[in-house]
Amino acid sequence: MIQLHNVHMSYQRDASALSGVTTKISKGEFVFLTGVSGAGKSTLMKLLYAALRPTSGQIIVDGVNITKLPSSQIPHLRRKVGVVFQDFKLLPNRTVLENVAITLEVLGWSRKDINKRVYHLLKQVGLEHKINSTPLRLSGGEQQRVAMARALVNEPKIILADEPTGNLDETSKDQAMDILKEANIRGSTVVVATHDRRLIESCHKRIIALDKGRIVEDADVS
Amino acid sequence: MSRDKTLKRPKMAREGIWGRFCYFSERAFLNIRQNILVNVLTVATIAIAFLILSLFLLLYVNLERVTENWSDRVQVAAYFDRELTKDEIASLTGKIRKIEGTSDVVYVSREEALKRFSSRLKGQEALLDGVTPAILPSSLEIHLKKAFRNSDSVSSYVSSLRKIPELTEVQYGEEWVKRFSDFMSLLRLAGTLVGGFLVLAVVFIVANTIKLTIFSRKDELELMGLVGASRFFIKAPFLIEGVIQGFSGVCLALLILTGVYALFLHNSDMLSSFNTAVSGLVFLPSPYLAILLACGAMLGFLGSLASLKRFISI
Repeated sequence: MIQLHNVHMSYQRDASALSGVTTKISKGEFVFLTGVSGAGKSTLMKLLYAALRPTSGQIIVDGVNITKLPSSQIPHLRRKVGVVFQDFKLLPNRTVLENVAITLEVLGWSRKDINKRVYHLLKQVGLEHKINSTPLRLSGGEQQRVAMARALVNEPKIILADEPTGNLDETSKDQAMDILKEANIRGSTVVVATHDRRLIESCHKRIIALDKGRIVEDADVS
Repeated sequence: MSRDKTLKRPKMAREGIWGRFCYFSERAFLNIRQNILVNVLTVATIAIAFLILSLFLLLYVNLERVTENWSDRVQVAAYFDRELTKDEIASLTGKIRKIEGTSDVVYVSREEALKRFSSRLKGQEALLDGVTPAILPSSLEIHLKKAFRNSDSVSSYVSSLRKIPELTEVQYGEEWVKRFSDFMSLLRLAGTLVGGFLVLAVVFIVANTIKLTIFSRKDELELMGLVGASRFFIKAPFLIEGVIQGFSGVCLALLILTGVYALFLHNSDMLSSFNTAVSGLVFLPSPYLAILLACGAMLGFLGSLASLKRFISI
């Protein structure tokens, strides 16, 4: 599903954010990407949804070499990839329903189908009663679940979650992880970037550890 | 539950160009409702900018009207030393009409000349005792086309006229025409300069106001890109919003202008000191209103387009 071949990435003048990263993530896998802050986790995630282009190397996502992808094709890639952001990226002036519906509006779904699908998904994440609330009225954990609902609502082939449990309490962390595991069971390939060791150890999944932009460990502990 | 079963692709909302236009328009109106304060401020700013421009246009249109009235006085008089027969007058009038720039030619007989003279001396008719039509010359009053009512054109016209042997003398108030011509050039230059600066200011204000509106929603633009929206899908509602903002701004400006006109300017005698033939101000003619509305919509569209380019990264 995801292949990286000798990927290098450096920001202007700075030292390499990633160097020589080569790995393969199969369809339906659940992978933790770990490492200390600045190890290159977020950079690698951004490369996977084409928010950044690598300095060199090849990245293949769902059979498409995205390093050579023209800008006009990027939206097609992103419709296959659901992204959960560390800062949630919810729109404060829109309701929970509207925030989650954005993903389906982009796909051109009808209003009736969108409402049905969003309600169904919010029920899954336990937020159907907050459907008309705005994000500012939700707790951090609830906001994170809305962000996850938005990433999952079109059942993407790949889910990328960048520090999805950062700043959450233990209960909210467990709820967030349960949602991602459920999506994985349904067939999505899930990549979670986190430095939370407790979370990684409790899940028993494949771990790719990064340090100073290099893969230093790739272990399957399932 | 398999992916395919749960997410059987539902039918698209509103297919076709018209369907998509309706969808984007709906989205634009919804966006305006959700960001009502920013939109009200934007429309108000555009309205103020266009109100200043339309007030200037109102003033300009009315000054043009006054000067056009003045320019009617630019006429040439051609005198004869003898009374002409009807046929001679007709042939001469025909000759003069053929000269480029002629608008109208009126024959003033000796009797008519005396009548006009005495009407000018109303109250002092005694001065004309003993004056007979025979001592006044008959003449032709020549009115010129609007484009020929300037100093250079009039003198070149008069040169052509002097080539006609039947005309003994040609007069046209050279000094007055020159002054009028200079005044018109100055007025046009001032109008162009002030108008030009005002248009630049309006473009600057509208473009930057819209840029600020879009900047306040850059997170939304970024998110749309991240969930897979195409560039056009992101841009379309914003462009429609820009058109609505520009158009509404001009509508508001014209409403205020209409109110000000109806209350204060309709019967204003501010121009009568310049020209007694003109009383009150006229409102902007409908082509001007249409152009202003079109400019508002166009500026809104272009302002949005330019700003979006900066904030959409895909």
